[in-house]
Amino acid sequence: MNRKWLSLGLVAASVLALIAFGVVLEPYPYWMHIAIVAFFYAILASSWSLLAGYAGQFSFGHMAFMAIGAYTAGIFGKFIRLSTAPTGICSEIPLGNTWLVFLNAIPERGTVTGQNCLELGKAHMPVGTLIYQLPAMPGIVLGIIMGGIFGFLIGLLVLRLRRTYLALFTIGFSEILRTALNAEIDITQGPNGLELAPLFPKGVHLFGYYFSSVNKVPPYYVMLALFLVSMAVMYWLAASRFGLFIRSIREDEEAAAALGVHIVRYKVLVFVVTSMIAAAAGAVQAHYITVITPNILLIMQMSLVIAMAVIGGLESLIGAAIGAIIIEFALELLRTSFTIGPIVVEMTTWRLVFFGLLLMLTLRFWNNGLIHPIIQRLTRVGWAEEAVSRRVAMAEEME
Amino acid sequence: MENASYFLLALLWILCWGTIGAVVTPRIYGRKDLDVSQAGLAGAATGAAGGPFFLIPLWYLTPELDWKWVVIPAVVIVVIFAGAFAAADPDNLCVTRGGFVATQLVNGLVIGIIYGLMALGLTLIFSILGVVSFAHGEFYMIGGMAVYYLTTIWFPGLHPLVGVLGAALLTFVIGIIFERLFLRAMNTGQVERPGEYAILVTFGLAFFLQYLTLALVGANPKKVARFVEYPAINLPSTENPALLKVTVSSIQLFDFISISTSRFTAAIIAVVLLGALMWFLYRTWIGKALRAVSQDRQAAAVAGINPNTMNTLAFGLGTMLAGLSGASLVQVFSWVPWVGIPASARSFVIIVLGGMGSLPGAFIGGLFVGIVEAIGAGCVPDPQRAASYIPAYGMLILTLVLLLKPTGLFGREL
Amino acid sequence: MKKLLNLFLIATMLLVAVPVVAAAPPPQDGGQDYVVVADDWLSNLADKFLGDVLAYPAITYYTNQKNSADSSYARISNSDEIEVGWKIYIPSSEEAQAYFAGQTTTVGATGDTVKIGALAPLSAPGSVTGGAAMTAAFEIAVEEINAAGGVLGKPVELVLVDTEGLPERGTAAMVRLINQEQVVGVVGEYHSAVGLTAKEVAHANGVPTVFAETWSADITRVQYPEVFRIAPLSPVVSSVDAEFVASLPGIEKVVIMSENTGYGIPAAADTEAFLAEKGIAAVSFFADLGTQDFSGIVERVKAENPDLIWVLSTGETSYNFQQQAAEGGIGPQDVPMVCNQVAADSDAYWANVPDGNLCFYRRIGLPKQKFTEATTAFEARYVEKTGKESAESYAMEAYDSLKIMAQAINEAGSTDPGAIISALENISYDGALGTITFPYGTQNPVPDDMDAMWWHQFPDPAITIRQYTEVGQADADAATVFPATYKTADPVLP
Repeated sequence: MNRKWLSLGLVAASVLALIAFGVVLEPYPYWMHIAIVAFFYAILASSWSLLAGYAGQFSFGHMAFMAIGAYTAGIFGKFIRLSTAPTGICSEIPLGNTWLVFLNAIPERGTVTGQNCLELGKAHMPVGTLIYQLPAMPGIVLGIIMGGIFGFLIGLLVLRLRRTYLALFTIGFSEILRTALNAEIDITQGPNGLELAPLFPKGVHLFGYYFSSVNKVPPYYVMLALFLVSMAVMYWLAASRFGLFIRSIREDEEAAAALGVHIVRYKVLVFVVTSMIAAAAGAVQAHYITVITPNILLIMQMSLVIAMAVIGGLESLIGAAIGAIIIEFALELLRTSFTIGPIVVEMTTWRLVFFGLLLMLTLRFWNNGLIHPIIQRLTRVGWAEEAVSRRVAMAEEME
Repeated sequence: MENASYFLLALLWILCWGTIGAVVTPRIYGRKDLDVSQAGLAGAATGAAGGPFFLIPLWYLTPELDWKWVVIPAVVIVVIFAGAFAAADPDNLCVTRGGFVATQLVNGLVIGIIYGLMALGLTLIFSILGVVSFAHGEFYMIGGMAVYYLTTIWFPGLHPLVGVLGAALLTFVIGIIFERLFLRAMNTGQVERPGEYAILVTFGLAFFLQYLTLALVGANPKKVARFVEYPAINLPSTENPALLKVTVSSIQLFDFISISTSRFTAAIIAVVLLGALMWFLYRTWIGKALRAVSQDRQAAAVAGINPNTMNTLAFGLGTMLAGLSGASLVQVFSWVPWVGIPASARSFVIIVLGGMGSLPGAFIGGLFVGIVEAIGAGCVPDPQRAASYIPAYGMLILTLVLLLKPTGLFGREL
Repeated sequence: MKKLLNLFLIATMLLVAVPVVAAAPPPQDGGQDYVVVADDWLSNLADKFLGDVLAYPAITYYTNQKNSADSSYARISNSDEIEVGWKIYIPSSEEAQAYFAGQTTTVGATGDTVKIGALAPLSAPGSVTGGAAMTAAFEIAVEEINAAGGVLGKPVELVLVDTEGLPERGTAAMVRLINQEQVVGVVGEYHSAVGLTAKEVAHANGVPTVFAETWSADITRVQYPEVFRIAPLSPVVSSVDAEFVASLPGIEKVVIMSENTGYGIPAAADTEAFLAEKGIAAVSFFADLGTQDFSGIVERVKAENPDLIWVLSTGETSYNFQQQAAEGGIGPQDVPMVCNQVAADSDAYWANVPDGNLCFYRRIGLPKQKFTEATTAFEARYVEKTGKESAESYAMEAYDSLKIMAQAINEAGSTDPGAIISALENISYDGALGTITFPYGTQNPVPDDMDAMWWHQFPDPAITIRQYTEVGQADADAATVFPATYKTADPVLP
C-alpha cells in the first residue's frame, strides 16, 4: 500500500513541478516554447499509444486527426465573424442585435487578392459598426468534435482491417487529406499555411498580472491543462473495463467477441477518443503557433510521434508521454549544440540518423520502451497490488 | 472543362449505385444462403456499371458470381468514364488526338514495367515473411545512389552494368543483414506481437537509411549518364523517318509515339531482370523452395526447407529488386535522398491493388499504375488543382481497394 | 457499459470545459474592430475607448499588426490620416498598456561577443542545398568581420538556426534566437514562407532583421520598422521575366512549368499577368515538388506548341523536367527555354540536364563582367571553401545580409535596436551584390504612387538573364543576354 501512495505522490509531485515550471521558465520564452511543443507531442504520443499499444490499432493517421482539429479551428477563425450590423451580402444569421457572418472563400493567386463579402459589404454598413472575430475556444471545440466525427468514420471503415492493411489504409487517408489541404488553396491557403489568431488575441489576466498575446505563459498552462486532462481521461479509460476490453481485442479479437466484448463498439470508441484528443492538441497547437501547414502531415512527422511512443513505451501512456517530452528536448538540444563549423552543422541531419537507429534498437531489444521499465521499477509493488485489488473489485462487480 | 457537369453527374451516378450495390448485394445473397464472399465487390462493380438496370436483375436472379461479374462491369465503367469525359471536355487532347493518347500509354507501360519490378520485390517479401517493408523506397534510393558512386565518383569509366550489379549486391547485403539482425527475432519469439513489430522496425529503417544517406552524400541532385548511347537510325529513310527515328535522346515510332532512350534502356533491363527472376523462382530449387514456403510454411519445413534461411533470402531478394529498379532509373531521373518516398507509396498502391503477396498481381498492378499515372498527367484538364491532386489518386485506389476487396485483384483470401 | 459511456461523456466534457474556463477571454473589456466614420480622429477614438488622447499610437500599432495578418484591416501609415470606412482595431486598455510598456524595454546587451542570429534551411523539407550554401557564406562573413576587428570592438558570434523551410519552425527559430540567445539582429533565410512568420516575431520583439533570399512582397509590404530585405521582390522578378520574353522576337505563347507550392503558384500567376500586359498568352502547368516522371506533362506542353517554355519549378524537380523535355523534343535546343535559376549551379546542371545546351536562366546579382572588388573577393573565398565553380546568388545574399548587419551595428555604435534600424535606413554598404541601400523607410516613407513592398527594400539586386551556349559551360562563362545594361551577347534562339 505504501508503494501505491508513493506512486500517487510521484504523480502529484510531477504535476506540481510542471505547474511550477511555468513560473520558473517564464523569463526563458524559448524553453517555454519547447515545453509547449513537448506537451503537444506528449499528448499525441500517449494517445497514439492508447490506440496502438492498448487497442492494437496501428494507425498511421494520427497526425491527420490532429490536422483535422487544427484546420477546423483555423477555418472557423478565418471565415466566421460577429458584426453589429448585417452585411447584406454574406450569408449571415441574426443573433439578437448581432449577426453571425460567414465569409466567402476568395481565390488567392498571385500577389493581388480579391475582397471577401465582408469587405464589399462595409460600403453599405452603418458607421460605427463593430466587427469581432470570435475567440479561439469555440473553434477548438469544433475542431475536437470534427476530430471525433472523423475518428468515428475511420474507425468504422477500418473495422475489418488489421496490422499492415490498417497501416496502409491510414497512410492513404493521411496522404489524401494532405493533398486536399494543399490543393484547396481558397479555403486552406494551401502550402503557405493557414494563419490563425493567437490563443488569447487580447492577452490574458491572471492573478493580477497581464500577459500579452505573444507571452508564452498562458499557452503553457493551456497546453499543460490539456495534457493533464487527456492523461487523466486516458488513464481512467485504460484502467476501466474499457481498457480491459480493448486489450482483449488486441490480443485475440475472436476470443474477445466470444466472451461477449462488443468489438465494433470498442474499436470505434477507441478511435473516437484518441482522435478527439489528437484534434484537441492540434487545435490548441495551431492557435499557439498561429500557422498550420499541410507539411505537418508528412509521413516523417507521423514517424516522429510513433518513435516517441515506442521509445517511451508503447503500452504505457505515461511512458509514451515522458518519452515524447524527453525526445523533443533532446532533438532541440542536439540541434542547439552546433555553432558555426562544418562538422557540427551536420548535427541537424545526424541527430535524426541516431534517432532512427535508437528507434530500431528499442523495438528490437526493449519491447516496453526505454522509459516504461524505469517507471515500473519505481512503482512496481504498488502496481501489482493495485492490479490484484482491481481484479478483485472487477470480479465483484461482474457478480 | 466545358461541361464539367456531365462528368460529375456520371461520377456521382457511379459512386451512388456502386455504394448501393456494395451494401445491398451481400445482404440479398446472404438472405438466399448463397456465397457472399464476392457479393460486395461484384455488387459494387455491377451497380457502378449499370445502376438499377443491372442491379435489379442481379438481385432478382442472384447468379453465381465469378470473375466475369467484376471484369465485365469494370470494362463498362471505364467506357462510361471515357464517354462522360469526352462529352464533358470535347477539346481535350486525350479526346481529339489519338497519337497523344498512344504516347501516354506507351510511356505509362514503359515506366510501369519498372514500377512492377520494384513492387515485385515488396510482394515477394510479403509472401514469404508476411511483412510489408516500409523501407522499400529507401532501397530504391540506395540502388540509384550506389550506381552513381560506383560509376561516376569512385571508378569513373566503370561499365554501367557493373555498377547495376554492384547496386544489386549492396542492396541485397543490406537487406539480409537487416533481416538477420531485426526480422529474424519475429520467428524466435524475442519480440511481442511480431506483425506490429515488423511495421515499426521497417519504418525505423526507412527513417535511418534516408537520413544516413542525406548525412553522407548531401542533398545535391545526382544523375548518371545514359547507360547506352543509341546510334542514329532512321526508317524508312533519313529524309522521311515515318516509321522509326532514333536519336541520342529519344526514340520516335510512327512519328507520334516518343520514348526517351534512357527510359527504354531501363525498361529493357527490367524485362531481362523479370525473366531472370521468373526463371529463378520457377526453375531453380531455391526458387521452388521459396514459393513452397510462401504457400505453406509448416509443410515446407517438413520437406526439409529451412524457413529462416528462406526468410533471409526473400528479404534480400526483395530489397535487391528495389535496388535494381533504382539502379536502372538513376540515368532517367535526378537522384536525391528522398526519391524513395513517392516510390514507396506507389509500391504500396501496386501490391494492394494486385493483391498482397501475388507476384503476377504486382506486375500487372505496376503496369496499371504506370498507365493510370500517365493518363492522369496527360488528360486531367484543370492544370493547377488537378496536378495538386495527383499524389492522391494512387492513395484513393489504395483505400478503395482495401475497403472493397482487401485481397486485391489476385490475392489469396485472407 | 452505460455507466462507462456516461463517465466517458463527462470526461469528454471536462476535456472541453477545462480549457474553456482557462481560455475564456476577459468579457468584452478587450479590443474590438471598429469601422471609421466621418469626423473620427485617432486621438478622439483613443480618448473615447482608452480614456487617453495620447494613446492613439497603440491603435496605429495594433491595427497595422492586424493588417499584416488580415488585409481587411486598414494600414495606417500616418496617424493623422484615417479614412471613413477603414476597419481599424481598438486595443483593450491592457493591450495599450502593454504596448507602451514594450516601447521602453531594450534588447539586452551581450557579454564578450556580439551575437547575431542567422536563419537557413538545413534539413528537408527545406532546400538543404540552399541552406548549405548560405551556411558557407555566413562562415566567410564571420571570418571577415572578426578579422577586421569585429563589431563594437567585440568578435561577432553567429548563431545559426535550422528552419527546415517550415513556417512554424521559423517562428520557433526566431523565438530561440531572440529570447534564448539574445541576439541583437537576425539575418538570412531562404524560404518566403518562413520569412513571413519570422517577420512577425522580429516585429513583436523589436529586433532588426535583414532577410536574404525571401522574395515574397508581403514581407516588406507590411512596413515593419524592424524588417529589411536584400533579395529581389517576387513581382519585380516576374516583370523582368516578362520584359525579357517580350524582347525576344516572335514569342506569342508561353508555357509556364511551375511547382505546386507557396512560391510557384503566385509566381506563375504574376508571370502570367505581366506577360498578358505585353500581349503574350501564357498557360501554366503545375507539378508537385519532387515529381520525377514528367513524360505526360511534357507531351501536353508539346501539344500547346509554345514559343517559349519558362520553368518555375526549383531544385531537382526542374532538372527532371528540363531533361525530360529535351528527350521529348521540346528541350532548350528545340524551343527557347528559360530554365530555373538553379541552373546557375553549372556542375549540377550539366550532370542532371546533359541535353540542356542553349538554356536561358535567371541570375540574381551582378554578372561577372560587372563584379565589384567585394564580389570577386567573396567569390574567390567561396569557391575555395566549397569547391564549387562560382557563388550562387543566395550565398551572396547571405554573406551581404550578415555583413550589412555588422556594419549597421558599428555605425549605430550600440546594440540598441532603434539605433541599428536607423543605421540600416541610412546605410550604404559595398558588398557582393553591389552597393546596398534601403531608400524607403521611417525617415523617407514609401511614396503614395509606389507599392508599399518597396519599404526597407534593396531596390537594385541586379536581375540578369544568362544563357549557356556550350555543353559543360561554367556559369561564369555563360553569356548575359538581358537586360541591355549588363548584356554581353545576343540571345541564341534554337
